[in-house]
Amino acid sequence: RSRTIGELLAPAAPFDKKCGRENWTVAFAPDGSYFAWSQGHRTVKLVPWSQCLKNFLLHGTKNITNSSNLRLSRQNSDGGQKNKPREHIIDCGDIVWSLAFGSSVPEKQSRCVNIEWHRFRFGQDQLLLATGLNSGRIKIWDVYTGKLLLNLVDHTEVVRDLTFAPDGSLILVSASRDKTLRVWDLKDDGNMMKVLRGHQNWVYSCAFSPDSSMLCSVGASKAVFLWNMDKYTMIRKLEGHHHDVVACDFSPDGALLATASYDTRVYIWDPHTGAILMEFGHLFPPPTPIFAGGANDRWVRSVSFSHDGLHIASLADDKMVRFWRIDEDYPVQVAPLSNGLCCAFSTDGSVLAAGTHDGSVYFWATPRHVPSLQHLCRMSIRRVMPTQEVQELPVPSKVLEFLSYRV
Amino acid sequence: MYVKLISSDGCEFIVKREHALTSGPVKTMLSGPGQFAENKTNEVSFREIPSRVLSKVCMYFTYKIQYTNSSKEIPEFRIAPEIPLELLMAANFLDC
Repeated sequence: RSRTIGELLAPAAPFDKKCGRENWTVAFAPDGSYFAWSQGHRTVKLVPWSQCLKNFLLHGTKNITNSSNLRLSRQNSDGGQKNKPREHIIDCGDIVWSLAFGSSVPEKQSRCVNIEWHRFRFGQDQLLLATGLNSGRIKIWDVYTGKLLLNLVDHTEVVRDLTFAPDGSLILVSASRDKTLRVWDLKDDGNMMKVLRGHQNWVYSCAFSPDSSMLCSVGASKAVFLWNMDKYTMIRKLEGHHHDVVACDFSPDGALLATASYDTRVYIWDPHTGAILMEFGHLFPPPTPIFAGGANDRWVRSVSFSHDGLHIASLADDKMVRFWRIDEDYPVQVAPLSNGLCCAFSTDGSVLAAGTHDGSVYFWATPRHVPSLQHLCRMSIRRVMPTQEVQELPVPSKVLEFLSYRV
Repeated sequence: MYVKLISSDGCEFIVKREHALTSGPVKTMLSGPGQFAENKTNEVSFREIPSRVLSKVCMYFTYKIQYTNSSKEIPEFRIAPEIPLELLMAANFLDC
């Protein structure tokens, strides 16, 4: 269909070597203040997001010399100000496979969490960056100062994904090729609280539901698991994919779960019932299960839900980024991207960032859309109500179907 | 230029005609061929929509007109926790 306008480029510093440059992960801080990406070669770059955006807008209209002047002046003005966010390059000492920002400020009004600080300062909003490394080690950094705070050692293999609970409790979950997920309490000096076992193979990715009550983990051998994060038990296994499942993301109201797989598909599930609600294919005609289960050149690498709960973005090996609306079968916008590995929406949903094989990050303006009042109400209701409760509501069946995202 | 939307409990909301036309059914009721009384008086009565819901609907009309086809960032549209279900029913009826 149509191409995106407003494509913004931010190439990372060039490196010569062929491998070790991969950008496996990109992340935005929950309050939108920072953007981080693994630059390859064991470093992570942290940039203040608003300055980054300003630079992009200026790149488009002015020439290169002007923008380098801007960079210089930014460094000078940063000198004396403590509160202004600064750029950092962090050397992690090992290949970085995963990144996650953790904030002591809850993203949304969800469960009440009684926060007591031991190591960290009282009354200060803590912003942390967790980096998952090739060796299985996890390093926790302070975003404002760039200093190393904690070293979490327990995984025996690559830490492929990291995610913080969105309720500000600083609970971190790590997913590893050692077939386990581990739950760490960063308020308690990084104490490891639980090991989640159940995967028979590599765990590729994990994601918390917005109310922090559920965790989804996906992995090799078609695995999609849902865990109860109050009791740390497995709720159910979601069956349907034909190949390794490599990415997952919840919708902002927690009513939908998107999973991306090497079987060329993105599935949208109802996490409360386990039913598949929608399917987004990247190969036409859709492949047979045998083809889907092998090397089909259309592996979907990443999927991300936008903040309006209506759009998702997917990255596939056919060198395309696609933006989909959840109520349409075909993508609303596409853009070319070679060797894309990971993607993430910015905190306000206006920009999609995608990391590539050579350590660069590319940005696109996301499709802007005023949601219907019906959808806004649906999100408001589904934030606090699982599907089972929705079924009990005294409303006409057409409205029930709409609320269950079954239209 | 302006139309009047009347809630079930008798509150009258005066909104720009262009805003009210966000809703297909309202548009039909206001511009249909003479069958509807509303056509003559530029008024629509909603016997099932209470004022607390209709007021929010009017706010949505403004929100939609303001941010559609605009380059400004779209802010969150807040919905108080007591009304989303009734608001959904009204929005469903009004197809907006």
